[in-house]
Amino acid sequence: MLEVRDLEVAFGQIAPLCGVSFALEKGETLGIVGESGSGKSLTAMSVMGLLPLSGGRITAGSIIFDGQELTKLPEAAYRKLRGGRLGLITQNPMTSLDPLQKIGPQVDAVARLHLGITGQQARARTIEILGTLRIPEPALICDRYPHQMSGGMKQRIVIAGALAANPDLLVADEPTTALDVTVQAQIIRLLDDLVKERALSLVLITHDMSVVAQTCDKVVVMYAGRAIEQGPVEAIFAEPQHPYTQALIGCIPKGLSEDEHLVGIPGTVPTVMNYPKGCPFHPRCIRAEDICTKTSPSLLPRGDGAVSCHFPGAAP
Amino acid sequence: MTDLLEVRNLSKQFKSSGGPFRKPRAMYAVNDVSFDLAKGRVIGVVGESGCGKSTLARLILRLIEPSTGSLRFDGDDLRAKSPAAMRRLRADMQMVFQDPYSAIDPRYTITRALIEPFVVQGRYTNGTADQEVSELLTLVGLSPGLASSFPHQISGGQKQRVGIARALALRPRLLVLDEPTASLDVSVQAQIISLLEKLRDDLGLTYLFISHDLSLVRYFCDEILVMYLGRVVEALPETDATVRHPYTATLMDSTFAPDPRQRRIIAPLEGEVPSPFDQPPGCAFADRCPRATAICRSETPVLSTAFGHAVACHNPL
Repeated sequence: MLEVRDLEVAFGQIAPLCGVSFALEKGETLGIVGESGSGKSLTAMSVMGLLPLSGGRITAGSIIFDGQELTKLPEAAYRKLRGGRLGLITQNPMTSLDPLQKIGPQVDAVARLHLGITGQQARARTIEILGTLRIPEPALICDRYPHQMSGGMKQRIVIAGALAANPDLLVADEPTTALDVTVQAQIIRLLDDLVKERALSLVLITHDMSVVAQTCDKVVVMYAGRAIEQGPVEAIFAEPQHPYTQALIGCIPKGLSEDEHLVGIPGTVPTVMNYPKGCPFHPRCIRAEDICTKTSPSLLPRGDGAVSCHFPGAAP
Repeated sequence: MTDLLEVRNLSKQFKSSGGPFRKPRAMYAVNDVSFDLAKGRVIGVVGESGCGKSTLARLILRLIEPSTGSLRFDGDDLRAKSPAAMRRLRADMQMVFQDPYSAIDPRYTITRALIEPFVVQGRYTNGTADQEVSELLTLVGLSPGLASSFPHQISGGQKQRVGIARALALRPRLLVLDEPTASLDVSVQAQIISLLEKLRDDLGLTYLFISHDLSLVRYFCDEILVMYLGRVVEALPETDATVRHPYTATLMDSTFAPDPRQRRIIAPLEGEVPSPFDQPPGCAFADRCPRATAICRSETPVLSTAFGHAVACHNPL
């Protein structure tokens, strides 16, 4: 359904993203996980063709969606795809709805534009979709304004908008970060059901390893604009090969065992302006040797997945 | 074990004055909260946004005035203190704020930010200031070389360490930590938590730790207070105590395990936290509760220890 190969993105002279590759089948969920500044949102924006908005451009690599090359697609053709077969769910539901327009017309517009149906048909669709998203009294909700709704409800409306034109691929950029835990559980459950019922493909971008563990089939772990490890979710959690992935999993409190001890990762995520030479993780890495400071490791297959490290392997 | 902090029936009512189109309204942000915090212990307060946990933190330091209830710190009645006496006493009880980006004055150097507590307390002496600052920075794992930096020159994690150093400047006994890691990356969150653990052991500190993250609270704290809409609904004396309140159970279920082999089919709680204004009678959680019965909608449950630990529920698990 989606194949991204050796994607590179540049803003002027700065290259915040380099060599990102992954593939996603129909009905699969792929998680892109990383800390702030790792390039995960940028990857999403590249797939959606929204980079030019922020002044970035794709300098190398390809994005193939259902057999179609997206990196060379003219904007007019992209417009037909985006919101249609490609749906986007943004992080902050508070700002992704128009505050001056009622809910109904905002969701209707998507179906009218992409499916070419009348206003009445679109409204019937909207009400049906709102119903499947377990929104109570969907017909009444259509006449409300966004400010009259809670954060969780607004995020459901955003999801309804993304679903209105029957997309094949959904890109969800931190869909639950702004929400409370009980509401996060509702939304994650909802997305999971949608993927199964509609055979959607979902790219889920998150900083939360626990969300990845609960929902994804495949995982790409990003650090400083690179995919440093990727593979099936079970393998990534059971036997992570990259020291960063291991450390990231070690940062989450798991249970109640007395001897569990959180250590964190020394140092901080580098900013785009000062990516270190060699392996970007070497200043914080416990396994770093001379070679790590000089040459950047490439992403090589290992087990069921791939890892970009000079000294990959299970944690000591 | 002696109690450092004793909170009894603490409430805070906020009123909105109304206007031409609106009647005046009142709501309780914190409603009848009582607990004891023993020396050297860590109590965690968890709840979703709007449950009153940050208001509770501010009430304890009297940064906002309680409406009713009593507060005792090491035997002293805090509510009887004059503002000046309260200010002196705050040297013993300090707070670390949620957002390190706005908790430090952007025009102050780190040195200036760290000597501010001494200035406020009238304990500033020119000769020893530099020494104090570098000791404080070392204490929280920062290089003393950062002393002349401005907040914008350091990272979020470093800023939070400065926030902790500032809170520790006057050698307090109680630290109130209001979501100290909520705005940080997970790798940095884990660093800060392990720093707080070390400081507790080295300096014999007592913490009130406020968070929305139940797994973090279970990891870090000795006891847990679960709040919902201003009230404590359950007080777990140990982090592995059996959960009795349906809301606590839901919070536990909503917390994902970082393990794909433990995928749970969770039945998420429907609905959301209701508005604290014009609450219907009965239990605030009744509308979302799978165990709710008629009595839950007519009578507000009170905390009772009939089931081992304090639970406010008519139909506990």
